[in-house]
Amino acid sequence: MGFLWTGTWILVLVLQSSPIQAFPKPGGSQEKPLHNRELSAERPLNEQIAEAEADKIKKTYPPENKPGESNYSFVDNLNLLKAITEKEKTEKERQSIRSSPYDNKLNEEDADSTKNRRLIDDYDSTKSGLSHKFQDDPDGLHQLDGTPLTAEDIVQKIAIRIYEENDRGVFDKIVSKLLNLGLITESQAHTLEDEVAEVLQKLISKEANTYEEEPNKPTSVTESQAGKIPEKVTPMATIQDGFTNGQNDETVSNTLTLTNGLERRTKIYNEDNFEELQYFPNFYALLKSIDSEKEAKEKETLITIMKTLIDFVKMMVKYGTISPEEGVSYLENLDETIALQTKNKLEKNVTDNKSKLFPAPSEKSHEETDSTKEEAAKMEKEYGTLKDSTKDDNPRGKTEEPKGKTEAYLEAIRKNIEWLKKHNKKGNKEDYDLSKMRDFINQQADAYVEKGILDEEEADAIKRIYSSL
Amino acid sequence: MAAQGGRALLALCGALVACGWLLGAGAQDPGAPAAGMRRRRRLQQEDGISFEYHRYPELREALVSVWLQCTAISRIYTVGRSFEGRELLVIELSDNPGVHEPGEPEFKYIGNMHGNEAVGRELLIFLAQYLCNEYQKGNETIVKLIHSTRIHIMPSLNPDGFEKAASQPGELKDWFVGRSNAQGIDLNRNFPDLDRIVYVNEKEGGPNNHLLKNLKKIVDQNTKLAPETKAVIHWIMDIPFVLSANLHGGDLVANYPYDETRTGSAHEYSSCPDDAIFQSLARAYSSFNPPMSDPNRPPCRKNDDDSSFIDGTTNGAAWYSVPGGMQDFNYLSSNCFEITVELSCEKFPPEDTLKSYWEDNKNSLVSYLEQIHRGVKGFVRDLQGNPIANATISVEGIDHDVTSAKDGDYWRLLVPGNYKLTASAPGYLAITKKVAVPYSPAVGVDFELESFSQRKEEEKEELMEWWKMMSETLNF
Repeated sequence: MGFLWTGTWILVLVLQSSPIQAFPKPGGSQEKPLHNRELSAERPLNEQIAEAEADKIKKTYPPENKPGESNYSFVDNLNLLKAITEKEKTEKERQSIRSSPYDNKLNEEDADSTKNRRLIDDYDSTKSGLSHKFQDDPDGLHQLDGTPLTAEDIVQKIAIRIYEENDRGVFDKIVSKLLNLGLITESQAHTLEDEVAEVLQKLISKEANTYEEEPNKPTSVTESQAGKIPEKVTPMATIQDGFTNGQNDETVSNTLTLTNGLERRTKIYNEDNFEELQYFPNFYALLKSIDSEKEAKEKETLITIMKTLIDFVKMMVKYGTISPEEGVSYLENLDETIALQTKNKLEKNVTDNKSKLFPAPSEKSHEETDSTKEEAAKMEKEYGTLKDSTKDDNPRGKTEEPKGKTEAYLEAIRKNIEWLKKHNKKGNKEDYDLSKMRDFINQQADAYVEKGILDEEEADAIKRIYSSL
Repeated sequence: MAAQGGRALLALCGALVACGWLLGAGAQDPGAPAAGMRRRRRLQQEDGISFEYHRYPELREALVSVWLQCTAISRIYTVGRSFEGRELLVIELSDNPGVHEPGEPEFKYIGNMHGNEAVGRELLIFLAQYLCNEYQKGNETIVKLIHSTRIHIMPSLNPDGFEKAASQPGELKDWFVGRSNAQGIDLNRNFPDLDRIVYVNEKEGGPNNHLLKNLKKIVDQNTKLAPETKAVIHWIMDIPFVLSANLHGGDLVANYPYDETRTGSAHEYSSCPDDAIFQSLARAYSSFNPPMSDPNRPPCRKNDDDSSFIDGTTNGAAWYSVPGGMQDFNYLSSNCFEITVELSCEKFPPEDTLKSYWEDNKNSLVSYLEQIHRGVKGFVRDLQGNPIANATISVEGIDHDVTSAKDGDYWRLLVPGNYKLTASAPGYLAITKKVAVPYSPAVGVDFELESFSQRKEEEKEELMEWWKMMSETLNF
């Protein structure tokens, strides 16, 4: 712009009358009111989701059956169901597209990427959790008249499917997938099998009465059930082993399955899963302290939330955002925080009566916002220090940046895949080849590292994300 | 006790949920680099475009994000390194990234060549993300553009200067800190001064285009050229750019050649041979930028002389003389037509104004991109269909020629009118064609040139035939 302005730059300064914000510094303190506003604006949505879960639980709570057990079984089955419906979808897809050679691989990958996206979508608070759960539900969570399925319905569904397919393998497939994903434990698999067997028996006997051609086949199916289960069970590693093995998704999910165990049936707690709960002693104690009849709903919500958080951690480990060790530490910290929170809250005097369980957050929001913020900040700090044990300078800023950057990259990749899928469908081309894409990305990422466009870590993260699709 | 427990639970749920939200905010927050700033920046975000200043790492990440989102149509590359070693990053958008498709014109945007003129840098990052988003949404204009053009975007030619400018504490940024590169060189005065040469040639005769002969040698041996300048010169020579814009700050106008006065005075309208099309190009930018084209807008500073501004455009030399600038270098050393756009009265305005700068400029940026599809374009080939590279295409009445690229393809930007185009090449017979040019799109005109030797052969054969006939008749 030149020397013409040398004399007039003072004028520039003088004329600057509009309010100018500070140049952005990490952790800018000016933004507190916005900060608070966001938190309190966000939480109602999450509470809505929690409320929706609670409502579902309320609706399907069968009063006459074993209360304690079916509570947990429902939560258990809800998640089970999600996985099942996706498996059903996957199987349907597999059946319909039998011709092309790339099918199995593609379908698995399609199923996987759908599954991953669902997870992300589920936890995306920019979308209304409610509408998402209800809309995006072709064959799973609701009956035809729109009422949610009960635990019995789920078991029924599985049994019917096995019966229709006349293939015990259906059950095996479902169970092994669930075990691999860490959504159920071995003991739950046993119990599920028992329940399914029961229902199947009923089905068979019912059918046997009406149609006389079928008596032989079903009985042979039932007989072979008992024999097959032991073979299919995935070995359970201890948490120590799992995490030292590191990157293997299966191992990670298996080990984290141990932590999931705490959400399951009460009677099992005392027997098999005590060693799992030692990792969450405070949470367990909290659960115990809740009067299970009166405050079952809170218990359910708590469990769901805990499960959600564990899934977050699992997802992040899976994507390589954090290492398994960090995941464990995080969960441990979470447990400690729970202890602290419980202690703090129980010490205060509560004047609010037993009106609704999840009232409008207006009166409570202030207090909770503050404590939530504190806890959130504490979480961030702890997480920050965890991730950044090797770096000395500017630990806080740097740890938050890689997290944000990887998220940004993740989001960009997701959009890319979505567009590619849509684009190929429209053009009537063959389904886009994920493995080709992966190779291309790997190649490009390496080239970019050489040219100094990408860091090695970034390239690795990108390759990891693509290979996990 | 039960009530207490319930309250505890509620609070706990809140805490856990908030923690979960924090952790799982992966899918919630695309494009925001620093988690600490995430909450504030989410307010200023739109479709993956975060309206904030990007330092070098964030700039790189933003471009990588665009590439990751649009791998089918984008590619990142670097034309070289700044003095302090930062890559001069470019993101290319086209339907076949990395490849020059014959007949597809090449476009470039360069920003932030003065490190403290920051708006251009940011706008170009926003533009890259915007083009990617719109392409995926099926925006017809953008899809057509990307399929028919090769768009190169270099957000910052002077990343070192930007870091210096951005590192200043406080709200007000100095008018000069960060302007030049790390060596203290003003990059927009550092290019070889070809204006002086062309002015001499105008008087005494000489070429009117591609004035820098023995280019490689001169550039590499010239110790006065900054590494950034050298990198750009090589870039210009390697890729047959047709249209370009160079983004600056400190005023609000679209500036076109020539930048240096003919007589050496301080200001004087110095038109180039393509004054008509340049005015049209500059207007194509300014007319979509409301403050820029506002005739009643007061000047940026009270005593500014903006008498040369017409409809938000100005001839460079009429405003003030600039020797050694990149804009004129493009015009006089290559086929590329470049204008200089001043985007903001304030060189480094507050971050919260970036969104409104984007709103003011996004239509201009796209409109200017579309200008590349104007005038005349085509191929120059020989009679066998082989491309003739470096053929000269001249227009009667305009004392500035363009040349054909490696595939024989050429592009000649022209305002509407009737023209006579002549294609010629050494060893070939020139051909002239008449063309009627509308506003847009570009008219296709191909040339098949006959080489001298071929004509000689033909004449020889004709002669032999005649001799044969004669000898037969006369019984030789």
